[in-house]
Amino acid sequence: MFEITYDLVVFITGLMAVLASLGVILCSSPIYCALYLIGHMICLALLFLLYHAEFVAAVQIIVYAGAVMILFLFIIALLGGRKEIQEASFERFMALSFAGTLFGELLLAATVGPTKPIQGAVDAQVLAEVGSAKVVGLELFSRHLVPFELASVLLLVAAVGIICLAKFPSAPLKRRTR
Amino acid sequence: MGPNFVLIISATIFCIGALGFMIRKNPLIMFMCVELMLNSVNFLLIGYSDFLNSMDGQIFALMIMAVAAAEVVVGLAIILTIFRTRHDLNVDHINVLKG
Repeated sequence: MFEITYDLVVFITGLMAVLASLGVILCSSPIYCALYLIGHMICLALLFLLYHAEFVAAVQIIVYAGAVMILFLFIIALLGGRKEIQEASFERFMALSFAGTLFGELLLAATVGPTKPIQGAVDAQVLAEVGSAKVVGLELFSRHLVPFELASVLLLVAAVGIICLAKFPSAPLKRRTR
Repeated sequence: MGPNFVLIISATIFCIGALGFMIRKNPLIMFMCVELMLNSVNFLLIGYSDFLNSMDGQIFALMIMAVAAAEVVVGLAIILTIFRTRHDLNVDHINVLKG
């Protein structure tokens, strides 16, 4: 019998995340793609937990798997999730070869050459004593205060942009004869 | 699991996202592939923040989440506007910017 170790759990969760992301790009129906993406987000949140980032894992579940994916599902329901016919073509072959090349290069960059270790002050023991949310909050409101405030400005700009897009509807385009 | 595992998983998910962005025709699914790529980078940042005992990676991941949320909201609104004017959602057929 094999025993369940930390490494095994991390490996299986990572494998499930990869399989779910494959499901996102291979399913024909948009609704199944969205469901696979939710599964992928949850797997990633579990991985965040396993790498001692509890606060970010909670934010991942709430913001991504909750809010963003509900938005996606609403839009799919609104537009009618039509199935997409997928056939092999030359463009697809080119895209596949490009992605394969990119993957090979990234793997090469991942395995060749040592990275120089930098050791910070916040190790797993400190995290376990203080708590992830408190450490993140202290960092966010002391050293990274300006980017935090700029992010709020960014969200405000996005909200104003949405209102502009929704409030002034353009006239329906007449179908042109070809 | 060491840094190599994080790097390889993250690279795999990023490449799957890039591939999906190129081969799919539905803009909604293309957006989902963008989310895949952003999430893979988030995972890399979180993993390295754990290995290097530093919180900067987690702060970066939070910033990426804020940017991704704003991007999704604006993008989906643009898709809705395109669908309202053209009644068609194939990116190959959207070839004029004039509404």
